[in-house]
This record gives sequence, C-alpha cells and structure tokens, in this order.
Amino acid sequence: MNKHFLRPPGSRDESHFQASCIRCNKCLVICPYRSIRTGTLFDGLTNMGTPIVEPRKTPCYLCMKCPPVCPSGALDTKLSDKKDVRMGTAVIEKKTCYAWQGTLCRSCYEICPLFDEAITMDHELRPVIHEKKCVGCGMCENVCPVDPSAIIVKPTGEK
Amino acid sequence: MQTAFLCLLIAVPFLNEREISIVTGTLYAMSFGPIDLTDPLSGLQVIMLTLSATKPLIISMLIPIAFTFVFGRVYCSWLCPQNLFSEMGDILASRLHIRRMFSVSPTPRPRWAMLAVVLAGSMAVGFPLASLISAPGIISLQISTAVFDSTVGLESALIGIILAGEFFLLRRFWCNYVCSVGTTLSVFRCQKTLKVRFSEDDQRKCIHCGACSRACQFGLDPMREKIYPLCHNCGDCIAACEKSTAGRNPLKFTF
Repeated sequence: MNKHFLRPPGSRDESHFQASCIRCNKCLVICPYRSIRTGTLFDGLTNMGTPIVEPRKTPCYLCMKCPPVCPSGALDTKLSDKKDVRMGTAVIEKKTCYAWQGTLCRSCYEICPLFDEAITMDHELRPVIHEKKCVGCGMCENVCPVDPSAIIVKPTGEK
Repeated sequence: MQTAFLCLLIAVPFLNEREISIVTGTLYAMSFGPIDLTDPLSGLQVIMLTLSATKPLIISMLIPIAFTFVFGRVYCSWLCPQNLFSEMGDILASRLHIRRMFSVSPTPRPRWAMLAVVLAGSMAVGFPLASLISAPGIISLQISTAVFDSTVGLESALIGIILAGEFFLLRRFWCNYVCSVGTTLSVFRCQKTLKVRFSEDDQRKCIHCGACSRACQFGLDPMREKIYPLCHNCGDCIAACEKSTAGRNPLKFTF
C-alpha cells in the first residue's frame, strides 16, 4: 500500500510524517473547515488513524491552525507563514484541462491563494504552475470544473 | 471517577465540534487549555523513530510521567476507558459464573516481551505501532471520529476482541499482560510511589481473610506477593479490606 496521501500543512517528508504522527487527531479537531479526515483500515495499515486531506472534497484553506497543535512535531509546529507550506505540488493534466484544450477557463488561476504567483497565465491564457511557489493546498483541485479534476495536487514525497 | 472520565472523553469531541476547544485531543495526546499532555509510550515511539525530540514533546510527556511517579499507574485504574470496560466485563462474568479457558499466575514477563515486540516492530515498519494497539487511544479516537466523520473505524473491533478474550479466554489479560501503554507507565516507579501495602504495625491487624486477593481482578495477593509492577492502584483490595475488617483496614495506600 504505497499510495501517498496529502497531509495537513506543516508536513514535509512522508517517512518523517509516518514516523512521528501519533495518530492523536488533534489537527483534525482544530481544522475549522473539516478538511482533514482520519485514515481508515482501507487506506492501509500505515495510514490508519493518520490525517488525510482530500482537496476535491474540501481543500486546505491555509488557516494554519493545525501545525501548532501537533504534539509530536509531525507537523512543523513553528510553521505560520502560508507561503512556506509544502503539502504538495499541483500538476495540470493538459489533455483534460479546458484552457489547455482551447476553451477559456480561469478557475484554478483565480482561486489560488498565492494569486498570480503559484499559478500564472501564459500568453495563450493557459494556467502554468510554478512548483517552487505552490504550497499544495488543493483549492485549485477543488474548483476545477472538469470531472475528474484536471489539476491534481501531488503530495510531497510522492515521486 | 472512571465513568466521569469516559463522559469527558465523549463530551470533548462534541464540544470541539462546536468550536469550544479548551480541552481537545484523544488519549494519545490531550490539551487542557495551554497545558499539553502526551502519552509517554506514543512520545517514546516518536523519539525512537525520528531520533529526535522537540522540547514541547518532552515537556508534554513529563507531566504524565511525573504524575505516575507520584501516584503509580492510576491512569490505568482511574482514567483508562478500556479498564472501565474490562472491569465491567469482569463483573458481568463473575455474576454469570463464567469460567475462563486459561488461567496463569500473575507475572510481568509477558508485558515486557510485548513492549519489546511493539518497540522493535515500530522500528522495523517505520511508524508507531503502539498507536494501532493502544486500547485507550483507539477508544478515544473512535469517539472523536464518530463525532467528526460520522463513521467508526474497523480498528474498534480490537476492543471487542479484547473484551471477548477477557470474557472467555483469560481474565483481564489485556491490562495485565499485554497493554504496552501501561507497561511503559510501570517503569516510572520509585520507593515513594503510592502503593498498596501493610505497614509493620498493620501487619498484626490483618485477619488473613483473603478478601483483598479475592477482590483483585488481576489475581494479585497483597498479603503475600510482591504485587508491583502488575498492580495499578485501583484500590479494590483496600475497599474489600475495609469492608471485611469493619473499618480497621490494615491494608492501605501509602507513599
């Protein structure tokens, strides 16, 4: 079971996260948007009890309430600046993205909290991701009008 | 006391859902206002797996550890919800006159072996195995999951397995022989830790009625045996002694 899940902000490397998450649920409880769910047995034994973010359902809105409550440091407790979050990186599936296929669409570009930095529009009005700026919150994946989403967040640690 | 704590465990997720977050967390880690507490076994696992320990983590572990140094494993006997369920199961079993399939003389060796297996296993798989089998952790987490996600995880089945095993196979085996949370806590013991014993003078008051050892759900005998580290200071023996000696109680909690 090697599927990587998107973790709450403050997480970086998945093996460090796995080693230090004590499955206590405090991040889930403090999240005001209910973006975090608890991993179940079906998500894999190693993921059981761990916090998982599913952007298509509810993305992370970068309120930054969860890193300080993590008792074990699985989420970097000192993290407070949204721009330093590295939950993952968005990737566009150009074959299904409306803009990349010729229609005009600005959904991901407009919702991105790092406006005009993590996602910019190129000269043909197609969204382009700047990996170094993208925090991986998933707001773009959440609003993409294509089903399944044409923009997906790849969690940090997934190759 | 135990029921009150269980009510707290149930109330906390409901309150958290309504954004009242003075108390938050599960029995892996809980916060009472600004005071963070972390289960020492969970903290130990993180330290072993990451080979590092942040200051907040250590401080949050020290409070339960200090508490245990003073009072002994009262977390197990007064707070742990698994203990409450197991005790009730045991009372039910004796009412129904159930005879278990196995019985063993109390010995701490299986606990140490289990702890070693859990710690070694965690190092092997790279994540805290203890979290998967911590009965109080699972109970408190599932209450939280039920409130927030409206689902209950399959791991709750472990609690059912424990209770069934204790009912039919071996009396109170989880708390007594398996639970690594309790084993970790039993390490934090010293001469001055709260304990059940006779003092020199009180020895003479003992009428050797055996009420204390009959009351002990772990099968310990305070009159004769060395009862630690197995004893978790529940006080059932003392209550039985008080009743049996009409208030003279040779058996007491002392520091």
